[in-house]
Amino acid sequence: MTRARLGGLALGAALLALLVVLAAWHTTQGTTSLGLPALLGWLRGDQGGAAVIVESRLPRVAAAIVVGLALGAAGYAMQTLTGNPLASPDTLAVNGGASAAIALAAVFGVSLPGLGGAGLAFGGGLLAALAVVAIGRGRGSTTQMVLVGTALALALQSVTTVTIILNEQATSGLYAWGVGQLSQNGITTVAQLLPVVLIGIGVLLLLAGRLDVLALGEEAATTMGVGVGSLRIGTLIASVALAATAVAIAGPIGFVGLAAPIVIRLVVRRIPGAAHHRVAIPLAALAGALLVVGADVLLRAVLPGAAALDVPTGVVTSLIGAICIVVLARTMAGADQTESMSVLGSRSITRRAWLPIALAAVVLAALMVAAMLMGDRMLLLGDVANWLAGRAGDAVRLTLDARAPRVVAAVLAGVALALSGALVQAVARNALAEPYLLGVAGGAGLGAVSIITLVPVATGWAVAASALGGGALAGVTVLLLVGWRRLGSLRLVLTGLAMSAATAALTSLLIVTTDPFNRGKAIVWLAGSTYGRGFEDALPVGVALAVAALGMAWMHRDLDLAQLDESTPRLLGVRLTAVQVVALGLAVVLASTAVAAIGVVAFVGLVAPHAARALVGARHRVLLPLAALLGGTLTLLADTLGRSLIAPAQLPAGVMTALVGIPYFIWLVLQASRSR
Amino acid sequence: MVTTPPHRRPLLVGAAVIAALALAACGTTEAPVESTEPDAAGESVTVTDARGQEVEIPAGVSDVVALEWNVVEHLQTVGIDPVGVADVAGYTDWAGTGAPLQGEPTDVGTRVEPSIDAIAGLAPDLIVATAGRDEGAYADLEAIAPVIVVEGANASAPLETMYADLRLVAEATGGEEAAEAAIVAFQEHLAELSATVEDRGLAGTALAQMDGWDAGGQISIRPYAEGALLPAAFEAIGFTNGWPGEGDAQYGLGSTDVEGLTVLGDDTHIIYSTVGDDDVFRNQLTDNAIWNELPSVRAGSVHRLPDGIWLFGGVETLTAYLDALVATLAPTP
Repeated sequence: MTRARLGGLALGAALLALLVVLAAWHTTQGTTSLGLPALLGWLRGDQGGAAVIVESRLPRVAAAIVVGLALGAAGYAMQTLTGNPLASPDTLAVNGGASAAIALAAVFGVSLPGLGGAGLAFGGGLLAALAVVAIGRGRGSTTQMVLVGTALALALQSVTTVTIILNEQATSGLYAWGVGQLSQNGITTVAQLLPVVLIGIGVLLLLAGRLDVLALGEEAATTMGVGVGSLRIGTLIASVALAATAVAIAGPIGFVGLAAPIVIRLVVRRIPGAAHHRVAIPLAALAGALLVVGADVLLRAVLPGAAALDVPTGVVTSLIGAICIVVLARTMAGADQTESMSVLGSRSITRRAWLPIALAAVVLAALMVAAMLMGDRMLLLGDVANWLAGRAGDAVRLTLDARAPRVVAAVLAGVALALSGALVQAVARNALAEPYLLGVAGGAGLGAVSIITLVPVATGWAVAASALGGGALAGVTVLLLVGWRRLGSLRLVLTGLAMSAATAALTSLLIVTTDPFNRGKAIVWLAGSTYGRGFEDALPVGVALAVAALGMAWMHRDLDLAQLDESTPRLLGVRLTAVQVVALGLAVVLASTAVAAIGVVAFVGLVAPHAARALVGARHRVLLPLAALLGGTLTLLADTLGRSLIAPAQLPAGVMTALVGIPYFIWLVLQASRSR
Repeated sequence: MVTTPPHRRPLLVGAAVIAALALAACGTTEAPVESTEPDAAGESVTVTDARGQEVEIPAGVSDVVALEWNVVEHLQTVGIDPVGVADVAGYTDWAGTGAPLQGEPTDVGTRVEPSIDAIAGLAPDLIVATAGRDEGAYADLEAIAPVIVVEGANASAPLETMYADLRLVAEATGGEEAAEAAIVAFQEHLAELSATVEDRGLAGTALAQMDGWDAGGQISIRPYAEGALLPAAFEAIGFTNGWPGEGDAQYGLGSTDVEGLTVLGDDTHIIYSTVGDDDVFRNQLTDNAIWNELPSVRAGSVHRLPDGIWLFGGVETLTAYLDALVATLAPTP
């Protein structure tokens, strides 16, 4: 017992010492040249730089530490609560909900610093977390909760991004905040919120003994007389409050609440006794603080002075967190366990596959007609007839000339993303595999933005080629890091999430540093939009779809077998590796060309194949067509509503897929669980 | 065991709904044209815009759409009230005092993604855009009407770029005389203001123009560095730019935080403008010791200019800006 305590204490002391050193370094960095001598002077009572130290440097380092402590502790508790090593303020959408609440409030002219802002963030974060927990209720240890949470987080993130971008004159400072930034206006905010963080961590420590029991499993806990229900509610409220407070102080600082607890979980396994929550939670909190302070120190050391202000701290924590997660995914116990594909929709809702497919085709066709009619200028069918016959008046002709390619681009990109998701899921045998979550879409977006930045007049084909290069590079990197035989594992999802976060961070970095005033570019490559697209932009994705259709017609039966396990297809004489390589290649081409056409649209590649699987089951002969139709429908519906709802202004397709997709997704999850 | 639902009914209902919708959607919103007659070969002008592209524009344009606020002002200066303006409400808030909106233009959506439908519906003769925005939409816009792109800003020659933009707009719309007259009037006004500044003993006074934002309790400051339009204008009448940092290559804007303001010289006047109650300098910073200890703040040298003078405008806006500046710094006794 003594030795066990010593191990945990020694680790804690080491982390604390490192934190003190980094915090001191951090305090000497800033937009003025005031450095270590001035800091030492101030400690001796010299009042020269006192105002800067007291009002700027100390609040900033205090914010970094408090935010890190809160996120680290919250993440650790959430992982125990859900029995899911991927649970965190990021993947349970707490960060997303909290930041969307604050961003929306700021845009509507409500600015509530301190406790007011924290209250708002708490409300948003709690609502998001409750939605996630309610949908994934009772199956917390499966991937379903993280699936729902990540989808909701993506959706809320694009709400925040677009809210900020569209209100550009009122929200210029919010952009950096939307990614997470530490600078403080005096100590007030941190001082007001510190008690919340301390109480939150205190509550978690009080619950620590019962959390130890819960970690053994819910049944064990119930047998041992632990009130699981009240324990869950208490832990949930405390950890959401911690995460929301962190958002209120510094915006959503990404991946800290995921990376820090994972590191600590890995380390405490090797230290006897340290895995007890009363030891591990403070350790995770310290690790979180170290990560945030370390990220900001690194940022300011690389970009001294005011240059560091253009790069939000959240970008750096996302990059550091991404690297941590990639490394840990290779070593973490349990990460190479494979999750069953049957998480969602193992049994289909209907046995007759033709019915949903026919309905989906009719809906898509009707929607395409409606999409041609709807927009800022509402048209009638006669207008379209005149346009097709080449005798429409100028206004109708020009409107439809601009509208038709957007409709085509939305449908084709939606179809491509959905098929890409379906293929990846079959190969990886992983319900969470999806081009966006695997970083392929993010890599493609980064590739496209790079060529647009380097060659401003890049054509549709050049953008598509560069997107393909970026997407393929990201995909191959993830594959190499994960290992071919572990595609079905949590390791794939962890590595993919990390890649996705890293590419998103790099994309926003590239745009902020090279073209800070081009909001349109930021919308397309951070959220996705069909605005201004021509047929030539949609052509590459059309070609990719034609090629993919041939490939899928050839191997749909092989895919049916490939998704089962390693041995069955081989026994039946399927050249499994060849099928998997071709399917992954097609998936990358489809996702990359779709991204080149309409930008980085999240959600579609995740939702459409899942919905199709829930409706008609896992036979690819019916699954693929239905997924394609649903993907096209979802993207087109989103784009059409985005063009029409607030005309003459418009909402980009990216945010609308999220908004349209959320209720649809929730409904399908409920359907699937009801038919179970 | 789930009972088989009656599949036919939803299909029939769906078909009925679609048929009803289709019937309701028949008809046209615009009469068909019998034949597209070739445009009467009238006179035209050819201008080279900021993209380096030669654009042919029919002579005597009257219906013009402005996709950025600086362009709205340039058009009004040469005597054309735009028929379509992106974000009319935003213009009124941010630019409506310095260069009030003439006429009642149609709102064509946001400055980020202006509505092609709305612009096509206006059937304009010319569309004017500002570089660095809307590139994705040029193809669609050019199908509607000739598009010229003005440079907007260039930190290597801010005032000259503004004049060049005005002259480009004038050349495209046949308003050269009005533009030259406006430029001459502006430069004469600069000379008058220089004399006033000299007379009041303000010559050489350092000014630091900046914007401030509050986001979730965090304050970010955007200073106007050397190369930004507003400092170039006040330097032309005898003030100096008190902000020592660097800005970006197009607009000349920097970024800093409250701590970064401590580099300002002791005699610098801080100048800012905003809209309505959204005033971080007066609301959020009043309890900040760094801000309160700034020599400029202690000396009371912090000035909020009237709302609605656009920060990246043309000659009218700059006239309003400089007049407001001189009136604030040297109130007539």
